[in-house]
Amino acid sequence: MSVYKHEYRAYEGRLTSSWARIGVLVRYGMAEAWSSRITIGLLTLSMLPIIVYLILIYLANNPVARAVIMRGNASILAINATFFLRVLVSQCWLALVVTAWIAPRLVSFDLSDNALPIILSHPISRFGYVLGKFVAMLSFLSLTTWIPCLLLFAYQGYTSPLPWMGANLRIAGGLLVGSIVWIALLSLLGLALSSWVKWRMVATGIIFAAVFVPAGVGGVVSAILRTKWGLVLNLPVMMTQFWQRLLGVQEFNRFGVGLSNVAIATMLLLVAFVSGLMLNARVRAREVVRG
Amino acid sequence: MSVIELDGLEVCLGGRTVLNGLTGRLHGQAIGLLGPNGAGKSTLINTLLGFHPPARGAARVFGLDTRHDRARIRQGVGYMPENDSFIGNMTGVRFVRYMAELAGLPAGEALERAHEALFYVGLGEVRYRNISTYSLGMKQLIKLAQALAHGPRLLILDEPTNGLDPMARQRMIQTIQEIRKAGSIRLLISSHLLRDIDETCDEVLILKQGRIAALRNIEEERSSHRNFIELETLGSIDEFCENLRQLGCECASFAGGRVKVVMSDSIASRDLYVLAAERGVQIRRIHRRRDSLEDIFLRAMENEPARGELVRL
Repeated sequence: MSVYKHEYRAYEGRLTSSWARIGVLVRYGMAEAWSSRITIGLLTLSMLPIIVYLILIYLANNPVARAVIMRGNASILAINATFFLRVLVSQCWLALVVTAWIAPRLVSFDLSDNALPIILSHPISRFGYVLGKFVAMLSFLSLTTWIPCLLLFAYQGYTSPLPWMGANLRIAGGLLVGSIVWIALLSLLGLALSSWVKWRMVATGIIFAAVFVPAGVGGVVSAILRTKWGLVLNLPVMMTQFWQRLLGVQEFNRFGVGLSNVAIATMLLLVAFVSGLMLNARVRAREVVRG
Repeated sequence: MSVIELDGLEVCLGGRTVLNGLTGRLHGQAIGLLGPNGAGKSTLINTLLGFHPPARGAARVFGLDTRHDRARIRQGVGYMPENDSFIGNMTGVRFVRYMAELAGLPAGEALERAHEALFYVGLGEVRYRNISTYSLGMKQLIKLAQALAHGPRLLILDEPTNGLDPMARQRMIQTIQEIRKAGSIRLLISSHLLRDIDETCDEVLILKQGRIAALRNIEEERSSHRNFIELETLGSIDEFCENLRQLGCECASFAGGRVKVVMSDSIASRDLYVLAAERGVQIRRIHRRRDSLEDIFLRAMENEPARGELVRL
C-alpha cells in the first residue's frame, strides 16, 4: 500500500499495548476539546478567580500591604480553610460550566455521525472507550480545579512567614479529594447525558438542568413535606456540605440542616451508578430493537 | 485453517432468534455473504466482530472464539460498516490515523499508513478535507481506507457498493478485486447484490431467515455444470421437465417458461427438441451457459433446508 506503487502492503511492525489505545482516546479527546476557541475562553475565565486569590494571598502575607490595607487587623483577610473553601467552591462551579461545554464535544461527534460501530470494531472495549473519554474529561477539569487550588495552597505555604503548610495539610487533602470527587462525578454525568443527546447545545443545557432542576424539586419537596430529605436532590448544597467537612470548616447553609455523610455518599454513588447505566445503554456498536 | 467457522451458531436479539443454528466452515479468499433483507447477514458480521454474543453454539475467526477472543479478532479485522460511520468534523487523514492508532499502530506508523491507505483507495487528493464535505462515494471509500490502514488479515465489507453510482461502484469493485488479487488479505463481503458477489468472491454463504440456505464454492460450482442449457419455452412445461428428469437431467423451471437443464451425458441437444415436440412444448430459444450465482441463489431461496443442512444443487 505504498504511495508510489498504490499496492496493498500488510503491516508487520510493532503494536501498542491495550492501555496505550485508551491513551489514544484521551489524546484525541483532549485535542477535540482544545480545538474550540470557546474552550480556551472558558479555561481563561476559570483562571481569573485564581489570579484574584493569588493577589489576595500575596497581600495577606505582605507586611506593607497588611499595614496599609488591613491596618494590623489580620482577620480581614485570613488565609485559612474558609478562604480555600471559597476557592474550591468557585473553581468547582466553573468546572460545571467547562463540563457543559466539553462533554458534548467528546461524545456527540461520535454519536451524531454514528462512529461507534467503526471505533468499537477496533481492539478497544466499550469500557475502554468510556474510560478514555472519562480520563480526557478528568484531565481537562483538573486544570480548573485541584491543580490551581493546590498551586495556591503551595504559594500560601511558600509566602507565609509561619510554618503554615505543615499545620494545614488537611486543607490540601480536602482540596484534592473534594475536587476529584466533584470532577469525577461531573465527568460521568456529562458523558452520560451527552451520550443521549445528539445536539451539542441541547446537551449543554441538559447538563446544567440535571444539576439545578433536581435542586429546585428538592427545595419544593423540603418545603411542602417539611423534611430535610429534599436536600438529597440538591447537588449544590450537598457538595458544599461535603467540601466543608473535608476542609474542616464550620458548616453553614441557608436551610439550617445538614445531611449525614452516609446520605451524601449514597446520593453521589447513585448519580454515578445511574450515569454508568446510561452510558452502558448508549455506548454500543449496534442498537437492538426489542420486540 | 478456516477463515470462519460456525458451529451451531444461534444469536437472539430483542427476544427474537435472528441466526438459527448456523454450521459451516468458510475457506475462500473472498467470501460472499448473500441473502434477502433481514436474512441475518449484518447480524452474522456483528457476531463475528463480538458485538452480539451467541446465545448457543460458537463462531470462530481464524480459530479465535468470538466470545472470548474479541480483542484479538478485532486486531486482525478491518470492518467497513453498511451505514455512514465516521467523525464528520475530522479530516480524512486524521480520521484514518485515529482508527489506525486505535488498532494498535504507533502514532508515526499510523500517520504514514493513513496517507498510504487514502492514496490506495483514491482519496489522496481530498485527504485534508473534513469528512462531512465528502460525497457519498468518498464516504464509502474513507470507510474502506480506515479498514485497511492497520493491515488486517480479514477485511469485512458490509454492503460496500451501497448508494454508489455506476462509476463509483465499478471503482469500488475494482479496488476489492485488487485487494483480493494481492492475496495477503481475506475478504468477507456482505451484499444483497448478486453481481457484486459474483464479480469479487470465490465462495458464497447464502442466508435465508437466519439459516444457511447454501454454502458454495462459486468456481467449483461453475466448472461442475459445464453441460448447462437454458431454454425459453411456450406451453405446459411440467410434464416436459418431468420427462427430462427421467432421462437423468437436473431440471429447474422458472416463471415465463424458462427452464434450466443440466444435461446428462447420455442425451444430446437434439433429444430436447424431440421430447418437446412430443409434449407439445415450443422451444423458442436455447443457449448453453455456465451456472451463475443467480441460479445458485434462486435455488437456495426455493429450497429451505432443515436446520443446519445445506442445499444440494
